[in-house]
Amino acid sequence: MLKKRLIFSLLFDNGNFFLSRNFKLQKIGNFEWLKKNYNFTLIAKSVDEINILDVSRDKQDIKNFSNTIRKFTKNCFIPLSVGGKVDSIDKAKYYLDSGADKLIINSELFNLKLIQNLSKNFGEQCLIGSLDYKYVNDEIFCFKKNGSKKLNMNLSKIFKLMESLPIGEVILNSIDRDGTGFGFDFKILNYFPKEFKKPLIFSGGAGNYKHLLEAFNNKQIDGIATANLLNFVGDGLQEARLLLSKNGVKLAEWL
Amino acid sequence: MSKKKITIIDYGMGNIASLKNAFTYLGAEVVVTDDPEKIKNSNYVILPGVGSFKRAMEQIKRRNIDDAIIETAKKGNYIFGICLGMQLMGASSTEDSYTKGIGLIDNEVIRFSTNDTKGNKIPHVGFNSVNFEKKNSLFKGLKDGSDFYFVHSFYMSPKNLKCQISTSYYGINFLSSFHKDNICATQFHPEKSQGNGLQLIKNFLNF
Repeated sequence: MLKKRLIFSLLFDNGNFFLSRNFKLQKIGNFEWLKKNYNFTLIAKSVDEINILDVSRDKQDIKNFSNTIRKFTKNCFIPLSVGGKVDSIDKAKYYLDSGADKLIINSELFNLKLIQNLSKNFGEQCLIGSLDYKYVNDEIFCFKKNGSKKLNMNLSKIFKLMESLPIGEVILNSIDRDGTGFGFDFKILNYFPKEFKKPLIFSGGAGNYKHLLEAFNNKQIDGIATANLLNFVGDGLQEARLLLSKNGVKLAEWL
Repeated sequence: MSKKKITIIDYGMGNIASLKNAFTYLGAEVVVTDDPEKIKNSNYVILPGVGSFKRAMEQIKRRNIDDAIIETAKKGNYIFGICLGMQLMGASSTEDSYTKGIGLIDNEVIRFSTNDTKGNKIPHVGFNSVNFEKKNSLFKGLKDGSDFYFVHSFYMSPKNLKCQISTSYYGINFLSSFHKDNICATQFHPEKSQGNGLQLIKNFLNF
């Protein structure tokens, strides 16, 4: 049977990795620092997939980013999704050639022409649509460009579009919960189509294994992404994985 | 083990970097090429592939790689198809309108329908159990039902396929790998399946 997926996200900006809280970034260190302070091999063996997102607010240093992806994939035999200003076939190809298996698309997600073109070239299974949202007085608004630009579409239309686009998976990311460790926002699922046909990845708010368990027990959710480096790194992820298995969540096992 | 020389076919649509990493990690010497002559004369050939069947066949034909693959197979060289690479070895696919495949085996490639998968979501993404149908050297050191990473919306119909060595379940049983003489293939990505995948690749290198 198909297993649930635990996904770890790394946030990158011009040479350094960052923590994010409500989309405000806090620098933690570069690749070497991360490697020295956190046991990558252990992380890779405790998660099903890794996302690396270039969240640079200013100009993107694409060469630096690509080199980091290359370094990362060197001894890492696990699916890798890469996002950050995917706005052309060339950029997509560049990421894929650097070692990405899938592309995460946020700001250009509703650029139908681009999405169709990407899908024709790389297949829809290669594309993950990522939606950032937050509540303002109980109303939900969706954003692009690292949460800085509001989308002028209502939520039900957005979800409909996401279902019809030639993409393989969908990420829902709560800006309010991002980096807080307060737990996931399940309220959004009240607005999400019950019979949505693409795999759904839930993101924003995971602080401990109980939060993960709660999300994995929800039938609509296929995967969970967390970027919460401090809560889960060390043997945090490994322990969370063990506890989840003990609690009946079906997760992959490897040699 | 002496250093095995592996040829990865690069027709512009594959996760070449990941495959190269995995084979190099396991001690193989890797050549990446689209040159039909090199493909014909290599003892170990990898046919990767990510993306659309139709586009992939166009790229392959344009470089005369299809003939090179058939010839190298006839010579008895080992060929390993991965994901779309496995599908391309089949007779045809309905992806993006009917397209003929390389035809190393007779089976057709069809799309999962939500009917087939009993409501399971499409694409089929993530780690799923690979259920061994036969004892096979590719599975040496692996437990029946081991988890491998899949990402696909199309699958190869297992009809009449005597060489199937594993199936997987996603609402229906579908062909997840086959092995016929010197030709083998997996629908899943061993290069993305952590220790399980490395073990399988190591087994291939021991052919």
